[in-house]
Amino acid sequence: MTAALVPAPSRRVPLAAPARLLRLELRRNPMLWLLPLLAILFWLGVYRPAMAGPPFWNVRATVLQHAVLFLGPLLAGATAWVGSRDGRRGLTDLVGVTAVPRWASQLATWAATTCWAEAVYLGGVAVVYGVTAEQAHWGGPLWWPAAVGAAGVATCCALGFAAGALLPGRFTAALAAVLVFLALGGGAFALQNNGTYAQIWPLNVQDGLPPDSYGVFYPYLPDLAIAQLMFLAGLAVAALGALGLPAAAGGRWLRGAAAALAAAGLAAAGTAVGLAGTARLEAHGVVIPALHDVASDRPVPYVPVCAHSAVPVCVQPAYRSYLPAVTAALGPLLEQVAGLPGAPVRVTQVAVTSVQQEPSNGVQLGGPALSGSPPVLYLPLAGLSLPGEGATTAQFIDQLRSEDATMILNSVIGDIAPAGQAAPAGRARVGGQAGARGPASVPVRVAPGAEAQLAIETALAELAGVPSGSGVPSGSGVPMAGRPLEAAAHRFAELPAAARHAWLAAHISALRAGRVTLSEIP
Amino acid sequence: MTAAWIDGVSQPPRGRRPQGPGGLRLVRLHAASRRVLTCLLVLAACAVALRTALHWLPRGGVYSRQIPLTIEAGAAAVIGVTTRSPFGEPERAAGRWLPFLRLCSGLALAAVAVGALAAGSVSAHMAGGTAGMVRDTAGFTGIALLTAVLAGGALAWIGPVAYLGITTPALGAFWTTPWIWPTRPPHDRGAAICAALIFAAGLMLVTVRGARDSLRD
Repeated sequence: MTAALVPAPSRRVPLAAPARLLRLELRRNPMLWLLPLLAILFWLGVYRPAMAGPPFWNVRATVLQHAVLFLGPLLAGATAWVGSRDGRRGLTDLVGVTAVPRWASQLATWAATTCWAEAVYLGGVAVVYGVTAEQAHWGGPLWWPAAVGAAGVATCCALGFAAGALLPGRFTAALAAVLVFLALGGGAFALQNNGTYAQIWPLNVQDGLPPDSYGVFYPYLPDLAIAQLMFLAGLAVAALGALGLPAAAGGRWLRGAAAALAAAGLAAAGTAVGLAGTARLEAHGVVIPALHDVASDRPVPYVPVCAHSAVPVCVQPAYRSYLPAVTAALGPLLEQVAGLPGAPVRVTQVAVTSVQQEPSNGVQLGGPALSGSPPVLYLPLAGLSLPGEGATTAQFIDQLRSEDATMILNSVIGDIAPAGQAAPAGRARVGGQAGARGPASVPVRVAPGAEAQLAIETALAELAGVPSGSGVPSGSGVPMAGRPLEAAAHRFAELPAAARHAWLAAHISALRAGRVTLSEIP
Repeated sequence: MTAAWIDGVSQPPRGRRPQGPGGLRLVRLHAASRRVLTCLLVLAACAVALRTALHWLPRGGVYSRQIPLTIEAGAAAVIGVTTRSPFGEPERAAGRWLPFLRLCSGLALAAVAVGALAAGSVSAHMAGGTAGMVRDTAGFTGIALLTAVLAGGALAWIGPVAYLGITTPALGAFWTTPWIWPTRPPHDRGAAICAALIFAAGLMLVTVRGARDSLRD
């Protein structure tokens, strides 16, 4: 045998070794034993809350991004356990002299562990989105929150692995898990304190906006998600780069590359935090000027779903299942006032009417708005407790009636103020509120000429089923205004619907001007 | 070969009763083999972390409950990890006083954890109060000890951390089962019984059987 017969070394060997190592690590990874526990945590922390909410893609996507809170600490602990394996077993010197550089073998171990973790997370994403696809009426999956969740999983694994590899010890895994949990909780607290840079917190989805207020009428704004991905990837790269810094990790070039990687990761994470500091909350999500694409500001086209009632009530197709409830809430009042001057000719669902940042990361969303000529009621449902989302259908209807009845009645009949007082802007705070009822209530003197307005408003509110305490006189009687007013309201309410509407159509101008007296009400 | 070289801890002479200086030496060696001193340092760090967190935390909200719970779970996880023996079978075969030592160390560390966390929460508002903290820490410690028996002392942290993960949605969704005791008021009898049962079961099992340990780790 001569040397010529010896086969030339294959070029694939250097590449194949880490790949084989990865396959071995995948098969013998302790994460396999944790998969059932991770699946249970995903079910309890993500799947159940997601399914408890309405079948909107944005709501489900938000819950998916929050999965890091439930999976991250356990993953960090598990990867710290895996990372400290060689140190715990006293094998560091032994594996340091193998053909594959130690850093490469560590990266293979981390990759295998992360693969299993991602398998759990992405499997969960597939299940949640699969069920949502069956339930949702409109739209499609939002991938940015899922991507941030996946990056969060990988980063927790990287941080835990680096902690285990660099500081092997019996307490390392436990402390890594707890520290990741504390870091995630601390980020929430920083965000609650309106920390500008805390926007980067990986569980933050479009700041304080309710989950159903973005990604429906306008595209999901990815600005914050991009910054979060940059931050998480930077942290992961920095942690993995730090693994290659010790002398045993490999040769000089390899350690130099690891140092460069760690520095680049830290720079990326720092840049992402800086970008998050420039974020501002707008009506459709968080905008980071340097990352913002103006194409995202164009509304998403859709064909509204309308109920054919006296006044058309139209909602976004995603809210199709809530249309009967919205119609039931507003229909009775709209039937009373349909066709009258000031009454809405159409009810249209909108995303939000206004957004105002509040302390403690709160957001004040604007309520419905009645504007235009002819008037249109712009109705945001974001921020309301929808049926199945902590409220029953009856409670949802009450919410809508409370919010909208005053506005509609004021628009038709005019604001009513007690004598000597101006009516509150946009709302008539007159007698009939819950706190003003009963014999102990202080009588309010209604301005002359407004008594008839109050009586008509009381009658219409009662007919429409407006709940008490909503700013509209409702229910039986308004004792503070006196018996004649109550009697007139009951008299008017008992008229046939056609007669009532005809009288209103004939006298609405005089009523608005305060020229109708109680005795003139039929 | 003897087990003396493992973890740098020497074995006490066999057949001697653990009384007087010999007994103290046995206790000291047992504590050293379990890294009790490091555990005490971590518990002190938990107390400091709790004090710092309570200074900044708001009085309401899920996170005002979750952060102290996380620190309590951390303390319990560390106690669970402390049960790991570096000697394995030889110690079990030769250690006559081992169950007694396990019981004492488990009880003592749990008491120290409660004391440290109570000290850390002095003159600060903690959601749930001291009674809630004692209940939660005991429950977490019981879970850690049970996990140590089932999975091994080195993996005892998995139980408290997983349970902590379950409490997060439970706190937000207002679960009422007493088995998720952090969601219940501090003086709730059912939650206290559940936590006490878990603690007692964990302590009993770890006393009798010891943590499931492997020399490989």
